Amino acid sequence: MTLQRQETLRSATHPPLAVPSPSMNAIETHELTRAFGERVVVERLTLAVPQGAVFGFLGPNGAGKTTTVRMLAALIAPTAGSAVVAGFRLGEDDQMIRRNVGLLTESPGLYERLNAQQNLRFFARLYDLDTARVATQTERYLRMLGLWDRRDDPVGSFSKGMRQKLAIARALLHEPAVIFLDEPTAGLDPEAARTVREFIKELRAKGRTIFLTTHNLPEADELCDVIAVFRTRLLRIGAPAALRAELFGDSVCIRIAGDAEPFLNVVRALPFVHAADADGDVLHVSPDNPDEHNPLLVRALIDAGAAIRYVEPREPALEDVYLQLVREGEPQERTYA
Amino acid sequence: MRKALIILHKEWLELRSERTLWMTILIPPLLLTILPIVSVYLIGITPDEDAAQLGAVIADPSLAGLSEMELGQAVMGKQFGLMFLLMPLIIPSAIASYSIIGEKTRRTLEPLLAAPIQTWELLLGKCLASLVPAIVISWGAALTFVLALRLVVLSDRVHQAILSGGWWVLLLLGSPSLALLMVSATVAISGRVNDPRTAQQVAAVVVAPLLALFVAQLLGVVVLTPLLASIASAALAFLAALAFAGAIALFERENILTRWTS
Repeated sequence: MTLQRQETLRSATHPPLAVPSPSMNAIETHELTRAFGERVVVERLTLAVPQGAVFGFLGPNGAGKTTTVRMLAALIAPTAGSAVVAGFRLGEDDQMIRRNVGLLTESPGLYERLNAQQNLRFFARLYDLDTARVATQTERYLRMLGLWDRRDDPVGSFSKGMRQKLAIARALLHEPAVIFLDEPTAGLDPEAARTVREFIKELRAKGRTIFLTTHNLPEADELCDVIAVFRTRLLRIGAPAALRAELFGDSVCIRIAGDAEPFLNVVRALPFVHAADADGDVLHVSPDNPDEHNPLLVRALIDAGAAIRYVEPREPALEDVYLQLVREGEPQERTYA
Repeated sequence: MRKALIILHKEWLELRSERTLWMTILIPPLLLTILPIVSVYLIGITPDEDAAQLGAVIADPSLAGLSEMELGQAVMGKQFGLMFLLMPLIIPSAIASYSIIGEKTRRTLEPLLAAPIQTWELLLGKCLASLVPAIVISWGAALTFVLALRLVVLSDRVHQAILSGGWWVLLLLGSPSLALLMVSATVAISGRVNDPRTAQQVAAVVVAPLLALFVAQLLGVVVLTPLLASIASAALAFLAALAFAGAIALFERENILTRWTS
């Protein structure tokens, strides 16, 4: 089998960052690939998710995120490559992988004619919980997610947020080592989304490994220890702060009394400044070494007559990081023969 | 096997609340039970001089020596008796056709397949969910027919002729196998289409041999002896086992997930 693909310049010059070496990884993939016919959906994905981490898997629609999750949850087989999930090898121990992972699918997928308890008990039994644990785990998660009072109501009468919470409960009932959450807050109102986020934080505090796919970048920023930006192939992986620093460097915002534009040339003329732009009364400047060069930068501006109101480090939003990476990783036609 | 029973239990919980579905399930057996009883009664009070000339009468030694009116009842009863073999085919069709399609359209299939359950366990649970009510209702209807028949037949000989050994063998052994054959085929098709009507078409195909038996018995080409019924039941059981194995082989989890639920 040969993989016919066009390497982009970006992938050649910016290989993915290595994940900080963990003692044990909950998920490891090596060159994991999935093609449907000749169309490559996931291409040579190599990553490691440390145990206990919240791992954000970001990418645009159609990037192959759901396919990746389905492969890692042993729902579909890879075309090539290998993976170990929760200590079990994909393709060899699929039943054990299914037993040891929890999956929140994109759509809650609940039995609407059954009540909340019946839905959870059905899945608890499928996951081989004994009779006593079926009852205790069902009650535990219904209480934890605030659904206990509605336990006897048909799920068809539930709001979207309640359904999502119930689907999360279903994914956790059997206490899986690895939890895949596919867009857990998509379509939820702000309050319900916040409840779900808080719940994810609780899970993280308890040391659960969470593989989170989301389009909600502030959410990923808030929850994730490690983020992977993905578009058919892995574009970048690292801690959110590390990705920001790598892509945008350490830059500063200097707010000036009045228009900042006239001082742009002053700043650009400084030998240690490698990037600068003006936006209203703010100058965004990237010096080579902020600790050493910021005092010189401020002095130069004052000498040029600028009245500086304040200086602060610039913190680019994760959205900026994401958009830059995704644009750089524009899809190319990939076929698998 | 335990997980198949878990699936069966879940299906039963869901089916319980489907009132419209139960109407469509229960009305045909009700009609198919009342109609034979009324017909046998009516023919018992209407002399038919031609009854003795029917092929079914000439070929079947159990009908020898019956009066014209008794013959009319016996022939009519034997033909309608085949309806109870048809019932286990009609009843599960509505349930079986939705079995996988329902999971796909409600988007419950992915979490279900993500659970540690083997394909055979899932399909066995789905098949049982269709088969159990079908057999219970069919046998219940047959029991009603047997008991009511005693009230409307002209003699014990007519009763015995209608409820022959062959009929009992087919009812108790043959029809569940035939139903499993149909259900397996319907569930297999249900996994590959998104329209339950397509899956239901299979019932029409499986009914065809029964209709052939109906005509053959009426013409006297076939007399349903216990031996013949036993051979037919064994053949049907074999075919049903093959159909179930085929349904498992055709159920491609991955293809169903990626092709039909995305």
